[in-house]
Amino acid sequence: MSVRNPVVTALKTWLIPRRYGVMRWSYSLQRISGVAITLYFVLHIGETANVIGGSQVWSIPSYEYARQVWTETVEFLSNPFFDAGLAVLAFLIFFHTSNGVRLFLTHFGILLGKPHRPEYPYHPASMTKAQLTIFWVSILLAVAALLYSLNIFFKVILP
Amino acid sequence: MSGKLQEVRLRVYRYDPSNGGRPRYDIFSVPVKKDTTVLSALLYVKEKLDPTLSIRFSCRMATCGSCGMMINGLPRLACYTLVSQLKSKTITVQPLNNFPVVKDLVADFTDFFGKHRAMKPYLLRIDTYEQEKSNISYRQTDEELLKYIQFAYCIRCGLCYAACPVVATDKRFPGPQALSQLYRYYIDSRDEGGGERLEVVSDSHGVLRCHFAGSCSQVCPKGVDPALAIQLLRRELLFGRRTG
Repeated sequence: MSVRNPVVTALKTWLIPRRYGVMRWSYSLQRISGVAITLYFVLHIGETANVIGGSQVWSIPSYEYARQVWTETVEFLSNPFFDAGLAVLAFLIFFHTSNGVRLFLTHFGILLGKPHRPEYPYHPASMTKAQLTIFWVSILLAVAALLYSLNIFFKVILP
Repeated sequence: MSGKLQEVRLRVYRYDPSNGGRPRYDIFSVPVKKDTTVLSALLYVKEKLDPTLSIRFSCRMATCGSCGMMINGLPRLACYTLVSQLKSKTITVQPLNNFPVVKDLVADFTDFFGKHRAMKPYLLRIDTYEQEKSNISYRQTDEELLKYIQFAYCIRCGLCYAACPVVATDKRFPGPQALSQLYRYYIDSRDEGGGERLEVVSDSHGVLRCHFAGSCSQVCPKGVDPALAIQLLRRELLFGRRTG
């Protein structure tokens, strides 16, 4: 008996949402944004700890030392790659939060249709118009956050 | 049969454990008409081109749930899918995702049916003597029937299980089919299983593991909507008043 590679299968289900409709895109974006935001928080805490003196966080660093580390960190982070990363992060945070509200409500049985006798063509009552609306509003908010961030870093829309 | 004959390329997943066990794809040219199903095309291959091809089927009318397979990347019933509706000159056919492969297009349903059985898919009564005597009728109103009838249409074809991204990453997750059947019996007014039923799925690999991708409901050939049953089951687990 053959078992196909479970890691490849898992990555495919996460990263290739096509063919299953809008809800699968929502699932993939929610998972990817969740992992990305968690990674960002870990790196952010590491970077902040570095600014205030790394492992000497429990002692008060001298003003000159703290200023030097702060300047070095800001110089290291001030490049287009990190700026673009922050813009993408803004997209992911806005999407994850607003789509998360939809998922939170459905987990409590809110925004769902009622069970009924199936009649062809089938329309799943698990995906209602209210949910679709929240999903697309999430996308709109996320795109707006992305454009706003891009404009702050690169002045692409308004000077 | 109607319409003109056309040729399509059938790209078929092949795997034979007795022959080295390396999967490969074979390509067959098959003449089809407007109303040829993928199952008919596969049977043409088996009868005329390669008798060693293994497939599983029975009723040919989307009732038995035997001929589920990945057709152009989506889980579908081969007997219920017309070649013409795929709008593709090349059709790729693979065994169902999330199932071990026995041979070629035949998937192993042992785990799937095991999970189904674990949900006790039958009415549970406190008074078993009364149930076994079977000379009592359990009356229901239309409203009580409507609460579960949609989920009772399940034919156990495994398409929802193959579409589920959570099953792909957590083998202990019961899957949409088993969970929807659990809800089907839990919410049945004749059933007295109550909290005993929910205990089976109340751990971290149970109903709370569902991330609501909704793919199960998209591919169900009978309109069962397992995603709805799972969300309603989750609500029962969190706020349910019925206890066994």
